[in-house]
Amino acid sequence: MSYGPLLFLGILLTLASSWVGLVLMPHRQLGSLGQHTDPDTAAIFPAARAGEAQQGAEIYRSLGCVYCHTQQVRPEDYGSDLERGWGRRRTVSRDYIHDRTVMLGTMRTGPDLTNIGERQSDAAWHYRHLYNPQTTSPGSIMPPHAFLFETRAIGPAGRSTNALVLEGAFAPPAGREVVPTRRAVQLVAYLRSLKSSGDLPEAPVKKEEAAR
Amino acid sequence: MPVISFILLGSVVLLPAAALWALRWAASTGQFRCPDKVALLPFDESEPVGVATDQILGNRR
Amino acid sequence: MIHPSQTSKNPTLRALLPGDAGAGSGGDGFRKADLAEIDASCRVPVLFFFLSGLAWLIAGSLLALVASIKLHSPGFLAAWEWLVFSNVRTAHLNTVIYGFASQVSVGVSVWLMCRLCRIPLPAPGLVTVANLFYNLGVTVGVGGILLGDSTAIEWLEMPRYATPILFSSYALIAVWTIVTFRLRAERHLYVSQWYLLAAVLWFPWLYGTAQVMLLLEPVRGVVQAAVNWWFAHNVLGLWFTPIGLASIYYFIPKVIGRPIHSYYLSVLGFWSLALFYNWNGMHHLVGGPLPAWMITISIVASVMMLIPVITVAINHHFTMLGHFGKMRHSPTLRFIVFGAVSYTLASLQGIASALRSVSEVTHFTHHTIAHAHLGMYAFFSMVMFGAMYYILPRITQREWPCNGLISLHFWGVALGIVLYVVPMSLMGFIQGTKLNDPTIRFLDVVQFTLPWLQLRTLAGLLMVAGHVAFVANVGWLLVRMFEPYRKPVVRILTGEAETLAAGK
Repeated sequence: MSYGPLLFLGILLTLASSWVGLVLMPHRQLGSLGQHTDPDTAAIFPAARAGEAQQGAEIYRSLGCVYCHTQQVRPEDYGSDLERGWGRRRTVSRDYIHDRTVMLGTMRTGPDLTNIGERQSDAAWHYRHLYNPQTTSPGSIMPPHAFLFETRAIGPAGRSTNALVLEGAFAPPAGREVVPTRRAVQLVAYLRSLKSSGDLPEAPVKKEEAAR
Repeated sequence: MPVISFILLGSVVLLPAAALWALRWAASTGQFRCPDKVALLPFDESEPVGVATDQILGNRR
Repeated sequence: MIHPSQTSKNPTLRALLPGDAGAGSGGDGFRKADLAEIDASCRVPVLFFFLSGLAWLIAGSLLALVASIKLHSPGFLAAWEWLVFSNVRTAHLNTVIYGFASQVSVGVSVWLMCRLCRIPLPAPGLVTVANLFYNLGVTVGVGGILLGDSTAIEWLEMPRYATPILFSSYALIAVWTIVTFRLRAERHLYVSQWYLLAAVLWFPWLYGTAQVMLLLEPVRGVVQAAVNWWFAHNVLGLWFTPIGLASIYYFIPKVIGRPIHSYYLSVLGFWSLALFYNWNGMHHLVGGPLPAWMITISIVASVMMLIPVITVAINHHFTMLGHFGKMRHSPTLRFIVFGAVSYTLASLQGIASALRSVSEVTHFTHHTIAHAHLGMYAFFSMVMFGAMYYILPRITQREWPCNGLISLHFWGVALGIVLYVVPMSLMGFIQGTKLNDPTIRFLDVVQFTLPWLQLRTLAGLLMVAGHVAFVANVGWLLVRMFEPYRKPVVRILTGEAETLAAGK
């Protein structure tokens, strides 16, 4: 085989085939998916994210959370995602239409976060966990994100209302307190906004599940 | 129908057609025939077949 | 077979050839340069790519070590945000993929292309400029990642202010390759040239598409994931794999002095790879929120990869039959054969993990990480090391200064990568089984992985030691370049072992 033109054509056409098949076709099929309005309750899924949570998504991206946490729930009978309580139904394409960067993830060094906002809605838990995961989840290998917090002297007005409640070895020195920075607030707002359990025609929540 | 659909449908028809045509053209002009001597291209008079190169380890004193 | 038209064609292009190489010799096309002349013409540009690649290799392996330690000891260096695990991990990936592996592969590809086209390197300035752009791009990109500007899109983490610089470098390299291809003095094409030409044309297309659809004008929703994995899998399949295979196809015959087992099989191997590999990407999304047809089509294409993989395996391993003894004496052959065997293993592992039933267990675990290192390191990087052992003495006209360092390099990285890939593949499988059993607490699964992750740090240390030995040897070789030219030069030593020993 010593013919340049044949080689060029082959190189061009082979990649063009999957470029059409795996890039342009999905774009055509899924690129304009919209929200779904439930005919009974008039609820709209998926809901768009509010300002602070949207900014938190950028923090989530910038801190690279995606490298250890997935945001996808696999279907029934495929893995144990549903049994572990990571979701009430599998996730589908429509769940991601509002994400500026879709962070499905490929590693579960940590648990899936698709519905973390539903599974753990307590903001104080999230702050403590981010500050040092050992406070809430002993034995975790998640790195402490203390740099998202400020340790400062307690002011004359007493402890700030947003100061973290830390005990034992994790408590700051006497007279000081740990408060979340703006970025921590945004990140936690994002985490608490993570919910993908609306009833969708292509992925119905099982009735007995929904009744819970 | 948006323009992209035309491009897509067009490519779906045109690409395989072009591929088939190219394949037929290449085969009919003998472009897939490759003489076994092409396998000898890495060699030349200074480094002919049958002579190993790069034998540098374990030969030094 | 010479096309008469070639002599009159492209006077402008021909002007790019140095010296008298562009002059046609009596209607016979361009004069075929001899190997020493070609090697000498490659010296500066190829050295640039190799040396900067090796600098990134050292940086990348240190980052890898830090990331590995952080995963079992999360308190390690935890105070600095720019050294948070995900940053270090991502900086590691981008330095070794774009800084080390891609740069060295461009160096190897440039040298191979010149040798097989039988012309001295045309337009060396173009290659050197491409190299400068390249290093600028990687520096800006990795800096951006460490500063928190990572895009969090796997394999495309470099921020969008860095990527156009890299893209222009790829474009320059593609242009250079086409020019060289057009200028070739040898009309016949060897199998390595198909792979090289394909790689340099495919990659800018992949990279450009991914940049536009993910960073410049991001597409909506999970289409991003489709584009992401179409790109990321094809970086391996259509950029690294072809260059790795091109090198194996050249160096095994060259070192053992025996042509490839079956030239016809190599035709089948090339075209089946071109047809099937680029459809594989969606197997990274098995079980994910994408239409089933996309994932199924990628699983089918992954299984079809058995054709090119088995074809190439037969070709490489049968060529080696009866010549394994030569690995004792040739560093190039050691690394290349290690890489060729790993290619077969990595491909089979990859095909297996694409199946739904296997992916259900291995998908989100360290099994995938082990597989990536089997492909990128045990296969690709080892082949590149082997190629550099062959090329560097020839372009510098100096011999390797220290055989002990060569052995240290080989055994360090060979043991290191085996100690990495085998336990991690196994561990990933067990981890996946545990994750799929909802009665086992998640944190218990995490605890299970810890000793294995510590073992990985040990494996990493071995590999870093090997890299340091290699870089030391290369440094020493460069120092020798400034010593007076001494016979015997390597070209003379290509013959029997005795000639070599006698020459000392």
